[in-house]
Amino acid sequence: MRRFAAALLAALMTVGLCGCSWQTESPDEAREVIQVIAMDTVMIFTTYGEKSTHADYLSEDEVRRLESLLSRTDENSVIWQLNYAGGLGIDVGEEVCGLMEAAEEYAMVTDGAFDITIAPVVSAWGFTEEENRVPSQEELDKLLALVGPEHITLADDAAALTPGTQIDLGGIAKGYASDRIAEILQENNIPRATISLGGNVLAWGDRPDGTPWRVGIQDPKDPNNANAFAGMLHLTDAFAVTSGGYQRFFEKDGKTYHHIIDPATGYPADSGLTSVTVVADCDRDEVDGTPGVGTMCDALSTALFVMGEEKALDFWRSSAYDFDLVLVTEDGRVVVTDGIANEFEEIKESGYSYEVVS
Amino acid sequence: MKLTTRQLTLCAVLTAMALALSYLENFFPLSLAIPIPGIKLGLANIVTVFALYALGPGQALLILIGRCLLGAVFAGNMNALIFSLLGGVTAMLVMILLSRSGRLSVYGVSIGGAAAHNCGQVAAAVLTLGNTAPCYYLPILLGVSLFTGALTGLVAACLFRALAHTGLTRG
Amino acid sequence: MKLSPKLQPCRWDGLVVLLVVVLAAACALAVWSRGTDTGELTAVVTVDGVETERIPLKEFPDGERTYSGNGYTLHVRLEASQGETGLGLYVAAADCPTQDCVHTGTITRAGQSIVCLPARVIIRLEGGTVDRDAPDVVIG
Repeated sequence: MRRFAAALLAALMTVGLCGCSWQTESPDEAREVIQVIAMDTVMIFTTYGEKSTHADYLSEDEVRRLESLLSRTDENSVIWQLNYAGGLGIDVGEEVCGLMEAAEEYAMVTDGAFDITIAPVVSAWGFTEEENRVPSQEELDKLLALVGPEHITLADDAAALTPGTQIDLGGIAKGYASDRIAEILQENNIPRATISLGGNVLAWGDRPDGTPWRVGIQDPKDPNNANAFAGMLHLTDAFAVTSGGYQRFFEKDGKTYHHIIDPATGYPADSGLTSVTVVADCDRDEVDGTPGVGTMCDALSTALFVMGEEKALDFWRSSAYDFDLVLVTEDGRVVVTDGIANEFEEIKESGYSYEVVS
Repeated sequence: MKLTTRQLTLCAVLTAMALALSYLENFFPLSLAIPIPGIKLGLANIVTVFALYALGPGQALLILIGRCLLGAVFAGNMNALIFSLLGGVTAMLVMILLSRSGRLSVYGVSIGGAAAHNCGQVAAAVLTLGNTAPCYYLPILLGVSLFTGALTGLVAACLFRALAHTGLTRG
Repeated sequence: MKLSPKLQPCRWDGLVVLLVVVLAAACALAVWSRGTDTGELTAVVTVDGVETERIPLKEFPDGERTYSGNGYTLHVRLEASQGETGLGLYVAAADCPTQDCVHTGTITRAGQSIVCLPARVIIRLEGGTVDRDAPDVVIG
């Protein structure tokens, strides 16, 4: 009898249901959002998945690491040492050297529109100082003599600058950070995320409901309106970076001066564009933590803004790199390259006229 | 509360059994069948019901707390403690009341316990999350608790019948 | 046995079942009829990366609230705008040099934020009804 009871007990226990209880949410839906102020901007990391919290904090650590590595003001950073080396060669390390090589490449292909040596000129306009000012032509001429990729020498992991030349990697720092974060997401099997680093975005995977991430492009003519968009991108596994004069500018004597300096003239670029958005696919297989697609988008967004609509579209057509563009012009048009036309949504209330080019 | 050695041993065995049942649950992912986040077989409740009748509320409560504490320690997750304790204690209190009434069978008591267990767990979730979102699942959980409570009652009834002739519960 | 359990279901059990059903129905009515709310629209304030306050906009006081960080102070007010879904927050005044926070204007939707870089203060909205048209992230 006891054996029967025991057997019955065992059978019933395995079959029986009793009571329900609460548990934590399914691991894939776990979401972590953190906000960080770094590299002089707000960064918001939104990741999903089991390791979302871990990935977010790793990303924050990485951003802070890059911030101090690439700092122009911290005496301990190799950039500072390089800038004040008086022409001597400095061992900058493999990572910084790799970044400088990438910068050199982008400078070459854009005919100098992207130039990390423009730093002293940007400072002359006061964009890195407390106060903005309009430098004299004489001052600019003197500074421009030291601007140009020819003033940088790279060899192994060392670099040297012409005395007086200074570099600032800020123009690709966020793009590079997004490449590094892509690697963190890949290594932690994060299924989906949106990583927003100021105006740089990495749209990883798609939304929880399976639709692509919705990335709004700020309307340059209404920059303080959080609900004003020039267009909406629908992205899955892609980088998107926007550059525009409206992001940082000052006014003096009735004129507006913005922070994207044309290395050829030393003046804020006057190219007829109000914003440039570069979009490129993120191939998860190629994510390896070296300067990649994210860095490219960052560099090109600045360069193409300087180059203007015609040259930018010519550059796009040359297929030197695989990317697409959304250009917003001063005369009220939004130009979208055909590679991204299907992922671009017009915003009727914006008042822009939209065109697709191929 | 003074326990005889026999009672103490029985409590210990039941606590161990409840723990083992909790671990066993992981092999039956109920959330695949019923898509509510975190639904699982609360097999350990069989022990709670049995202990309540067989040993009385005091010892049953001891076993419950022991099971919750040790379960959280073994899982390495002390956060889960508030969920299982709140759910278990709520169920315990309700079942004590219902069983004392003398009018209900084990089925009624078990159903009441299962429903109370869910309410306690949702309350714990609301406290932890800081908003009332978990309340969305309460209606469904309560509905399911009717069946699960009935089944607990069935198992308990079979248990009591099977063990009626033994001296297992003599003090 | 301490207590002698009845092993057969009886009428009073039906009463328990009824009670549970009524409770479930009441819950369903109270909670499900509110629509796809993921909680109320809540303002989350972080200073220097640390969350200092989480307050539903409905409970935001009528006057203003001040948030300070790194020597700068922001004066934040609630705005109840007529046309749209109602509540929003804006920075009425701040003593930071760039005034970006003041220029940001009013934020009304989850995901939007007002940032003061010098003060390292971020005011971000979370929760509220899901807006199908809203972007997940904004560039530019």
